[in-house]
Amino acid sequence: MAKQPVAVTLDDVTRVYKNVKGRPDVVAVRQASFEVAPGELVTLLGPSGCGKTTTLRMIAGFDLPSSGLIRIGGEDVTNLPPNKRDTATVFQSYGLFPHMTVAENVAYGLRVRNVPKAEQEERVRRALSLTGLSDYAERSPGRLSGGQQQRVALSRSLVVEPGVLLLDEPLSNLDALLREQMRVEIRRIQKSLGITAVYVTHDRTEAMSLSDRVIVMKDGRIRQIGSPSTIYEDPDSVFVAGFVGKVAFFPVAVEGLEGPGCACVLHGKTVRAGKRAPGVAAGKPGILMARPESLRLGAPGQGVADGTVRQNVYLGSSVETFVTTEYGELLVQVDDPAGKRIPAEGEAVSISFNEARVRVLPPETE
Amino acid sequence: MPKKTTILRFLAALALFAAVDAWVYFTLRGTLRSQEARDSESRLTLLARSAPADPENLDTWLASVPESLPGGAAVYLIPTEDPEAYETRSSDEEAARLWDSVSGGADAAKGLESAYYFENYASPQRVEYGGQRVRLFYAPVLDESESELLGIAVFLAPEAGNRTLERLFALFAVGTLVLYAALSGISRFARDPTVGYAVVILAGIAGVFIAYPLAEALRLSFLKEGRFSLEIWKDVLSGAHLQALWGSVRLGIWTASVSTVIGFVFAFAIHRTGIGGKKFLSTIAQLPVISPPFSLTLSVILLAGNNGLITRQLLGLQNFSIYGLSGLVIVQTVGMFPIAYLTLAGVLQAMDSTLEEAALDLNAGRWRAFRTVTLPLAVPGILSAWLLVFTNSLADFANPLLLAGNYRVLSVEAYIQVTGRNDLGGGAALSLLLLLPTLTAFFLQRNWVAKRSFVTVTGKPNAKLVEIASPRVRFALGAGVWTCVALILGLYGTIVAGCFVKNWGIDYSFTLSNIGEALTRGRDAIRSTVTLAAAATPVAGLLAMAAALVFVRKTFAGKRVLEALMMTPFAVPGTLLGIAYILAFNKAPLILVGTSAIIVINYVIRELPVGIESGVASLRQIDPSIEEAAKDLGADEGTVFRTIVLPLVRPAFITSMSYTFVRSMTAVSAVIFLISARWYHMTVLIYNFSENLRFGLASVLATVLIVIVLGAFALMRLLVRDTGALEKTITR
Repeated sequence: MAKQPVAVTLDDVTRVYKNVKGRPDVVAVRQASFEVAPGELVTLLGPSGCGKTTTLRMIAGFDLPSSGLIRIGGEDVTNLPPNKRDTATVFQSYGLFPHMTVAENVAYGLRVRNVPKAEQEERVRRALSLTGLSDYAERSPGRLSGGQQQRVALSRSLVVEPGVLLLDEPLSNLDALLREQMRVEIRRIQKSLGITAVYVTHDRTEAMSLSDRVIVMKDGRIRQIGSPSTIYEDPDSVFVAGFVGKVAFFPVAVEGLEGPGCACVLHGKTVRAGKRAPGVAAGKPGILMARPESLRLGAPGQGVADGTVRQNVYLGSSVETFVTTEYGELLVQVDDPAGKRIPAEGEAVSISFNEARVRVLPPETE
Repeated sequence: MPKKTTILRFLAALALFAAVDAWVYFTLRGTLRSQEARDSESRLTLLARSAPADPENLDTWLASVPESLPGGAAVYLIPTEDPEAYETRSSDEEAARLWDSVSGGADAAKGLESAYYFENYASPQRVEYGGQRVRLFYAPVLDESESELLGIAVFLAPEAGNRTLERLFALFAVGTLVLYAALSGISRFARDPTVGYAVVILAGIAGVFIAYPLAEALRLSFLKEGRFSLEIWKDVLSGAHLQALWGSVRLGIWTASVSTVIGFVFAFAIHRTGIGGKKFLSTIAQLPVISPPFSLTLSVILLAGNNGLITRQLLGLQNFSIYGLSGLVIVQTVGMFPIAYLTLAGVLQAMDSTLEEAALDLNAGRWRAFRTVTLPLAVPGILSAWLLVFTNSLADFANPLLLAGNYRVLSVEAYIQVTGRNDLGGGAALSLLLLLPTLTAFFLQRNWVAKRSFVTVTGKPNAKLVEIASPRVRFALGAGVWTCVALILGLYGTIVAGCFVKNWGIDYSFTLSNIGEALTRGRDAIRSTVTLAAAATPVAGLLAMAAALVFVRKTFAGKRVLEALMMTPFAVPGTLLGIAYILAFNKAPLILVGTSAIIVINYVIRELPVGIESGVASLRQIDPSIEEAAKDLGADEGTVFRTIVLPLVRPAFITSMSYTFVRSMTAVSAVIFLISARWYHMTVLIYNFSENLRFGLASVLATVLIVIVLGAFALMRLLVRDTGALEKTITR
């Protein structure tokens, strides 16, 4: 169904909303530059108000950059209206046409493009079968469930064979179970069509499980671009580390750089971290980050931090132990708990970490 | 941001267009001027030829010069023995003095020299004569053989030139340039030019058909014989007209107060008590809103007029007169209490009945609960209803026209000033005066009362209603309401009865001849009324929806100004708009008076605000991502409007169209100024028949109008099965 996939490039794109009543202007997106390779699914991830939806709307053409360039398939589309761009958007609220049936909704894009009637029908049929909606073609969208409406929106966007598929928090109106199903579904369809896609979400699990690459944004700025594993395991900033997963932070003083890692002082003790982020320098403060799965529990006094167990949460494949320490409440994940001794609640423990897996980050400046 | 080259290319194109535009303009003007110069030259040559050979008759000829040369004069020079000296005669003193002052100059010498060579000389010199710039034209006067110079005529000719035509050319040239700049600018710079075009078109319509006529009315009220003067306003603000203003306000206060009380009783009885026949009562209570003008007045005259059925035939009263304030209050109340009813019904319906329940629960008596809970909650609604009726009463023109008698109101006064005394400026001033209380009430209602509402919509429908009225009170309310309904039905019944009576007041025998005669005499009027209303309907509907879309979804510079301007006709009395239209459109550049276009445009402009409001309300309910999705899928603005917006706002679209149709069918206050022999209006014909005491004919036409209007509403209900939207729109 898809044609040759195209690339999307943003070059120094800034969007400023002028505030009329003497208040300062709001910078929604600040100098965003990135490229989405043909056939790639890239997620814009960030808290609400970080500019991810504005970025998507600028790619779609609903919003205009204040400065910068947007290219789709090498062509400068910065000032083109949405109807002249090779994009199709799946909206958060779906935006289904309530006065048309499912089939008419899906056929709309073909109709305005004057595709011959017979071809329209054929393509609508295929699009609906791709999303498993063949039996609902003649229904009114108002009488479908949320998940089905979501599929209609997806079919409607896919049927026009867009160069780029844009998805604006498409799953946020669905319940948890359906969300998981649709996530898999969207990824399957995107891969099978080989279509370039930009996906906006504030849900890190969604971003991790769907994307080829993730772009983490905050306050209109791109904080990091990387594969889900890079973003999770090797974040470059405290914000990214905290936003994409559970993490423990320890304030340290960096002593010296050692290979890919560094040596630093934590509470008088010298510890070694196997990794460090750019911007970490000897003689400067730093933040040591450890994911729950790289923390270990031991007898008091043995580790880097002492504390008492506040609560154990049994999850089957693992146990999450919350330990109150001087660094706040830290989460330690004990995998495969069967046969391991889990300290009881109230018990004094110490926490140590897998030095190869921890990473030192520069302190947050903002 | 547009690229530099685009801007440069646009500016270059604009400069080129401006150059061509200017060239065309100056060429045209030049042609016009030289043509005129030639014309005036030959006229003056002829005039010089008419000079008498005999010096005896010269003075008569000189005196007659201003007749053939308006605003001009002549000096006649008779050569003497001395080649340097002349005997001078002139039309008047001023001309003589003028000649004295210029005769020594080089230009005068040149003129005289030309004359000696038997040639005309048009001097480039301009002088002041009679408060006007005149040019000098030297023409030799020869004897019959054309060989001897008898004298030299020096004409002081007013600057020739068709100023109006020149100004029209200039206006046209500037207009095309602005239009070109706007359209090409939009098509070059706008991402989707459709919106730009729509805004330009809307702004053009609002400017030409709303701002321009109103500004013209205001301007002309300050002019007397072409000069600025406060005379009209002095006259308007003198005792006689102020009395009419007070008359209007007094009538408004009475009507608004009585209507609000009756409206509240209706609303309370229907929506807060267990009275029977609610649906029927509610329908009848809304009937007068759409009833044609003159029909209720006509009915009241038939029943209680000088030869009324009740007053004369049944009661035998001799000195009773329905004409005047009391009659007007009755008719207006019947016609306008539905406005109060619909407003208050909305308020009482939305009020949470558990509040009253709580009061009763706290041991308040029913009356006390009503007085301390229900009434205070309804106060903003009551004020709102009062102000709405007040505005309507002041703007009302039809009822006072027939029924005012010696009682004076402004709307009728303005009409008489225009039609009776042919004083358009005075009429404009009077109707502008009417704007004062109307606008005050309008803005009070919109910006103050409407925002002060305590009523909260909880979203859960009141399943059960607490009966706050005791059975006795309910009975009293019921009796009052049913009496009113009987009265309304009686009034309408009278009109129908009037169709079949030979000569109301004198001979009550049954006849069908009225119907035939009314339909024959009214055929053209009926046809043109329906045609014009039908022509205005789709235009107003589409325009309103397009404007609503632009206002709700787009941002552009000057949007608020445009919005306010387009909503203005809502608050402007029809009388003012009608007078403004004849003032603005009976002269260049837009001469529309007497055409059908001016009537259709007036309908569209007057009903546009209601359409826009309902369009805006209905668009606000629609998720913008629906339109974005369509655009995203490749539809341009026009296609989005046609395939998405219009179907989604269909109820508002149809309601506003039928509203326009009905209001245009029943229009009178503005259209009475704009009709012509060819394009007549049924309501005016009804008025004429009533004035000539042909009540039978008037009744037939009123009945026909009612049937058409009811038919239109029935059709609309069928098309939109959404009576809620309908009622909201009617309330205004």
